[in-house]
Amino acid sequence: MAVTIYFVILMNNETSNSIKLKGSGNGFKLTLDPSMPVSSIEEELTQLFESLKHFAQNAKVVIDTDGVKGYDHVIENIESFLKKKFKVGEVSTFLPEKEIKQGSDSSKPWMFHRSDVLMLKGRIRSGQKIESKKHIIIAGDVNPGAEISSGGDVIILGRLNGKVHAGLPDKKDAIIFALEFNPTQIKIADVTAIGSDEKSGSKKAEFACIDKDRIIVQDYLKANPFASIPWPEAL
Amino acid sequence: MEGKIIVITSGKGGVGKTTATSSIGAALAMQGKRVAVIDMDIGLRNLDVIMGLENRIVFNIVDVVNNRCKISQAAIKDRRIDNLFLIPASQSDNKDVLTTKGVQRVAKELKKEFDYIIMDSPAGIERGFENSVVSADEAIVVCTPDVSAVRDADRVIGLLYSKSIKPKLLVNRIEPARVARGEMLSHEDVLEVLSIELAGLVPMDEYVLTSSNMGLPLVLQKESKAGQAFIRIAKRLNGETDLPIEVPTHKTRMWNTISKKFGFTK
Repeated sequence: MAVTIYFVILMNNETSNSIKLKGSGNGFKLTLDPSMPVSSIEEELTQLFESLKHFAQNAKVVIDTDGVKGYDHVIENIESFLKKKFKVGEVSTFLPEKEIKQGSDSSKPWMFHRSDVLMLKGRIRSGQKIESKKHIIIAGDVNPGAEISSGGDVIILGRLNGKVHAGLPDKKDAIIFALEFNPTQIKIADVTAIGSDEKSGSKKAEFACIDKDRIIVQDYLKANPFASIPWPEAL
Repeated sequence: MEGKIIVITSGKGGVGKTTATSSIGAALAMQGKRVAVIDMDIGLRNLDVIMGLENRIVFNIVDVVNNRCKISQAAIKDRRIDNLFLIPASQSDNKDVLTTKGVQRVAKELKKEFDYIIMDSPAGIERGFENSVVSADEAIVVCTPDVSAVRDADRVIGLLYSKSIKPKLLVNRIEPARVARGEMLSHEDVLEVLSIELAGLVPMDEYVLTSSNMGLPLVLQKESKAGQAFIRIAKRLNGETDLPIEVPTHKTRMWNTISKKFGFTK
């Protein structure tokens, strides 16, 4: 317990750093972005672990790359660096819970899932701007002149007449769905498309996604984007 | 009982806010209420012209708010309708001379003296709009059936909701013949986007231009369809909430008699 409290105070002082260190269980959890230059990673690590002093010795360190993959050599470097310089005990990489639990039929991971969805009900009017890093679900219409920007998918249970940006800044597999799809402009990740000028008479549920760097709009029931997911995943 | 402040606003200019203000004010006064209509469009006053009271202006709303005169000094009595008073805007100042605090203080005083205070908000959503809605109890959003007016009305409705005022919608200048031909948005199309309670529907009417040019009250003209529509709106505001909203229709005279006979029209 004493260790944990110590580090909460420490972290408050370390606001400028992009590497985060947290006491967890009987060791430490290290959150970092492996795409950073090795020199700056080592510099920040030195700072952090020097302030740890004797706590670092023989401690268990778990490295969490926040889902970024393909930097195994960097992590190996960090591992040997920490072991050599600070004599830490064990270094391992963090596996997201989702990957561990996948495929186990008996467990229901979504029951314990904290939602990554912002759900709003009501009409989004001209001049209103809804911004969130989460997925956005709107139970209601989006009027012309309204703007929605989301870090994930945008699902509108109603008419879409406004402007939508999904997958901000670079999530190319984000989709935009509406029961009546008639936006003025849509953007997924960094690809933009403008809505058709004539009002489409069809009142089909449609969705937009990126296909070969272009945005395409498809009939939802004909090309259900979620049908290919074999096992329900929490959004 | 304390009076009620109703603000008439729209966002877009030229949709008929001033006409609606003068007509609803006049209609409420004709129903025996003590009514003040206030022109909040500082620097671009029109309401006095439409009501034909321009030559009687001595003091204006800016003088009242800045304590240069009393409300009773600035309120101009209408020539034809008893119980109807106009507090005009200033033509020489700009919108920044009013403060929301000053307006709130005057609004409190006005509420003691009048049953209804109808405020004619300027177009736009800047300072003038803020000043008009700051002490409003109710709001009527005026909108014509065209895309840009609907867009602006939508924005204004959002702003009013954020100030916890629940607005009602007045669709002005409906041309039933063009709606029937599909050239114009119908009031249903407008309502589909705006989805707020309807205050009333007003048809396009030639009398509006002539009567406002001459400074005559529209509601006194029996043949004016718009005038009659405004009277019904005022009645609904004044407590007759079950008075049905009349949809402007376009029918030939023969069809009219036939449908009346068979009960097609309400």
